[in-house]
Amino acid sequence: MEEDILTTLKILIIGESGVGKSSLLLRFTDDTFDPEQAATIGVDFKVKTISVDGNKAKLAIWDTAGQERFRTLTPSYYRGAQGVILVYDVTRRETFTKLDNWLNELETYCTRNDLVKMLVGNKIDKENHELDRAEGLKFARKHSMLFIEASAKTRDGVQCAFEELVEKIIQTPGLWQNENHGRGVQLTDEDAGGGTCGGYCSLV
Amino acid sequence: MATDSDSESEVFEITDFTTASEWERFVSRVEEVLNDWKLIGNSAGNFSPEKGAYTSGTWGEKSQDIHFADFKFCITHYFLIQECEKDDEKDKFEEDTFPLAIQDLMCMNNDFPPRAHCLVRWYGIREFVVITPGSNCEAIISESKCNLLLSSISISLANSGCQIPMLVQVQQKWRRMYAGECQGQGVRTDFEMVHLRKVPSQYYHVSGLLDIFKSKIGCPLSSLPQVNIAIRFTYILQDWQQHSWPQQPPDFDTLLGGEVGGVEFGKLPFGACEEPVSELHLATTWPHLTEGIVVDNDVYSDLDPLQAPHWSVKVRTAENPQCLLGDLLTEFFKLCCRKESIEEILGKGLTEDEGKEINDIGSALSKLTEPATTVPISKMSVANMVHSARKHIRRHRRIDESPLNTDVLNSVLLYLFPDAAVERTPENSKNKTAQANSCGKMEQDKNSDYNLFLQLKSAPIDSLTYRLALCVCLVNYYHGGLRAVAHLWQEFVLELRYRWENNYLICGLAGGPPDLRCCLLHQKLQMINCCIERKKARDEARKVLEGSEKKVSRMSSGYLKSLSVPESATVMSTGSISTKEVSPGKSWDSWSDSEDEFFECLSDQGESEAPPADEEKDGSKSKAEGRLHPYNNMTLLNSSEPLYVPITQEPAPMTEDLLEEQSEVLAKLGTSAEGSHLRARMQSACLLSDMESFKAANPGCVLEDFVRWYSPRDYVEEEVVHKKDNTVLKGKLSARMMIPGNMWVEAWQTARVTPARRQRRLFDDTKEAEKVLHYLTMQKPADLTCHLLPCIIHSTILKLKEEESVEDIPSIKKNIQQAICQASKLLHPTIQDYKKLEDFINQLIAMETVITQARSLKAKFSISESEKRDDTDELKKFVTSLLEDPEVEVIGAGQGSTGRIIYRLFINAQKAALLTPKDEDFVHDRKTTGANNRVPDFPSPAGREILLRARVPRPAPYSKPLPQRLFCVLMREEFRLAGAFSSDTSFF
Ligand SMILES: Nc1nc2c(ncn2[C@@H]2O[C@H](COP(=O)(O)OP(=O)(O)OP(=O)(O)O)[C@@H](O)[C@H]2O)c(=O)[nH]1
Ligand SMILES: [Mg+2]
Repeated sequence: MEEDILTTLKILIIGESGVGKSSLLLRFTDDTFDPEQAATIGVDFKVKTISVDGNKAKLAIWDTAGQERFRTLTPSYYRGAQGVILVYDVTRRETFTKLDNWLNELETYCTRNDLVKMLVGNKIDKENHELDRAEGLKFARKHSMLFIEASAKTRDGVQCAFEELVEKIIQTPGLWQNENHGRGVQLTDEDAGGGTCGGYCSLV
Repeated sequence: MATDSDSESEVFEITDFTTASEWERFVSRVEEVLNDWKLIGNSAGNFSPEKGAYTSGTWGEKSQDIHFADFKFCITHYFLIQECEKDDEKDKFEEDTFPLAIQDLMCMNNDFPPRAHCLVRWYGIREFVVITPGSNCEAIISESKCNLLLSSISISLANSGCQIPMLVQVQQKWRRMYAGECQGQGVRTDFEMVHLRKVPSQYYHVSGLLDIFKSKIGCPLSSLPQVNIAIRFTYILQDWQQHSWPQQPPDFDTLLGGEVGGVEFGKLPFGACEEPVSELHLATTWPHLTEGIVVDNDVYSDLDPLQAPHWSVKVRTAENPQCLLGDLLTEFFKLCCRKESIEEILGKGLTEDEGKEINDIGSALSKLTEPATTVPISKMSVANMVHSARKHIRRHRRIDESPLNTDVLNSVLLYLFPDAAVERTPENSKNKTAQANSCGKMEQDKNSDYNLFLQLKSAPIDSLTYRLALCVCLVNYYHGGLRAVAHLWQEFVLELRYRWENNYLICGLAGGPPDLRCCLLHQKLQMINCCIERKKARDEARKVLEGSEKKVSRMSSGYLKSLSVPESATVMSTGSISTKEVSPGKSWDSWSDSEDEFFECLSDQGESEAPPADEEKDGSKSKAEGRLHPYNNMTLLNSSEPLYVPITQEPAPMTEDLLEEQSEVLAKLGTSAEGSHLRARMQSACLLSDMESFKAANPGCVLEDFVRWYSPRDYVEEEVVHKKDNTVLKGKLSARMMIPGNMWVEAWQTARVTPARRQRRLFDDTKEAEKVLHYLTMQKPADLTCHLLPCIIHSTILKLKEEESVEDIPSIKKNIQQAICQASKLLHPTIQDYKKLEDFINQLIAMETVITQARSLKAKFSISESEKRDDTDELKKFVTSLLEDPEVEVIGAGQGSTGRIIYRLFINAQKAALLTPKDEDFVHDRKTTGANNRVPDFPSPAGREILLRARVPRPAPYSKPLPQRLFCVLMREEFRLAGAFSSDTSFF
């Protein structure tokens, strides 16, 4: 079993406190919803193997605390992540307006610029939406992100979000493999042939 | 013979190959290859290759081994890849058109291609097949073998109907002798060759060669059709005279002796130490001459190179010329492979020294008393400072025998730690450092190259790390290699320790926690600074306290504000966690890192730390401690007292390796519920500390108060309708905060009433600093090199950029961009691929070489940036082309401005060769190479190529007029005639 695992991908979940990051993760990994999910302290961590396009990928998912006071160290977990899920709560506008800060932080601390970003608008099961889908879409387009609306409670869009993200990562060359494509800088075209039958030569 | 059998008849005939000879098998094998490669059939067409197509186009080649008995041959097909074969047109041409190759013999569009296969050069053909002896096989020397091979290809061509010329290589390979043929409808061309070591005197000129050509054709007509002549003479210039190199390597000692701070130390050297352009080849061409127009015989010649209608030039560059930057890089990179530890390197010297000490003591003493050994900067504190740090090493190693010269060492240290030059008081150093850091930042933002360090994961260009990289590199190259590097590193680490122990911040590092975008070494240095800062704050706090204790017996609340605790102290973090073994049963306290030290290291004031439950009710206002400021005009839920934000402990800074370790530990806890719980608990030291500070600042507070400040979203306020219609705001903790046994509640219950200053330290600066210093001490020079490699690559790229911008070479510009991309991939992974890095470094070196070549050429062609002349742009373009194209046409030939410069170069070289004094004005006094006794302007040509062509019917007067061609090469040690003679095979 282990050997057909294509790769281990590091995924990060970020966003304001209480938007439902831990709940989304729990829904994805254990397919449950715990209304009494405790506020995350520091970072939490879960693993899940999924199969996308016949490729098995092991996901190591880091769930960070959105609470301001824990944030100073969480950026360190951005290191080496191939994918990041930015979550906001569709019933609370301020969680959406803070997204810019999160993106900034991501920009600053992320070690790779080809990382795949996904925006998730959570809690669509609730009634009093303060944000509609179009706003989320617009933001995602502006920042070249994937976008989906979801509910950890009703499981809508959760599985899909993770799968899309992984698929995209796998499609992005150089993101999950460490080898470098693209041969080196070619400065001089070497003399072909050489030696025996004349090769390509000039008079003198 | 079996293969000869004509299958015209329908009669069933048994064809028997069982007795086929080796020779027959070889012939059929060749045919098979021609078939496989689809080279059979009519190749006729009627388009001649475009002018220059042989040079600008791409050539393809395909080859395969074939055997003749057990003798291995290699058969190769060479061809010019043509974009669109005009198929429709091709059909129009009847069967009697000649094969393309035979037409090519007469085509004048690609005479003298600058770079081509020799057969292309000699015969002008765009496609051919060559059979050469296998790589380890002997040459075909004997005449009978040659003939056997030639008849083999003749039969193969005839059998297959292939119209592509096929040649075999005979004689020793170096002689490049070929023979072969091409067959078409009713026509055959024979390719023949003569090769001699010496040019026979009767063939030294055009008239003699014309004679051979004519006699070889054996023209059956009474008057031979006009012979077309193309001539190229090639002259080589090796002596550049006043434009000669070499560039002197910079005198390093004088640079160092210069300004304090060693500005020059930050600069990488650049340029070639030897002439990077070794030769200039001038080809003078007469592309269209006819017999009779030109006279060139043993007594007289019309062929004055200065009058040639066409000039072209190419340069031959020196192979791997020694270049300063390249050498420096190579030597630096070599250090990566050294296995020795610092101790092994310096320790050895140490014991040697002790042995010699007694003998040399006298001279050592005199050395010490000499004024020269007391460094000119001895007044400055760097000397003292460094001295103190170095003392114990000096005990064993005498100054004059240390691997790195003391003067150099002091200059380097002063360059690295410029703040040491100022008389040192703690205040002073603090200001200086702050200033240096902040102004650096402002400049950086404007610099477009600034972000390069992010891509390369190196360090900002004015940082200590970056400067250290330059110094290590330069010290390695100029001042003693590995041992000197080891010595410098040892001194560097000692200096860091000195600063740590004496509370001097390290300058040249941005403040704040380690920047994870930089290389690990940079982060480690920043980490030491963090430790120093903490330690300083603690020491200062203690001082203030000691001072104030004398005056005030009792502390007032909020006194800490006066202790210059930075605002940032309020920012909290999860704190560092213990990465030691983890057992679920551990108490809350044990997750914090430190032993007995307190955050601000204040002695306990004797206050009893009663358990919180007892204190909550009777906590009086006067007991509040560690308040920072009131929070949003809020009051506590259970009293009218304002809610205060407490002074909290600062977050524990982390370097990436620590983080790695930490996340590994956290990940190891697994994904179970207990794992999660434990993880949260491990990271809650900080939460707990905050709670304790909060309790101390807000006597009588409850968890709800804490949550209102700390996680406002978890305090839900609702409008509750009371009786009699008045609505009241009623708040409660969010559902998730009220889960029984949840971490927050649990922590709140455990938290004592303790202000930050009396809490255990979340971050043990002493331990962290010692850990970093130990880590640094243990680094071998090789490790150090690997740490610094990104910085060196970074500075090399910047240097190349800078130098390129002076010369403006588009190809290099492009290459630098590519190199940056590549470097960002190569330098990021933790395990660096040595081989790939080496290749990469070689590419950087190649760029330096090209830039120096451009520089050298500009000097030779008198292009100066300062004095712009009319022809400057033209010359610049010319020089750029010389570096990029195989051969460059000289506009206006010998009469153009470029041509005149070249001419002058030759004259000067000629005169120098004949030891006549140089005469700058001579250029105006132009002389032809006719009969005069002055020095000829040009040396005798290194090579002369004469191409003779005619359309002559052969073998009979009534045969078709067919292409005949003779290419003659005359060089000092080579005389070659390559002839292609066609004859009519249908009517003769
Ligand atoms: N109705 C509804 N409630 C949700 C949903 N997702 C999460 N919640 C609730 O929102 C609250 C916060 O959820 P968490 O998953 O703890 O939020 P978080 O983003 O992890 O918060 P931090 O750990 O503090 O950063 C919890 O009470 C969840 O039950 C959802 O999709 N629908
Ligand atoms: Mg959470």
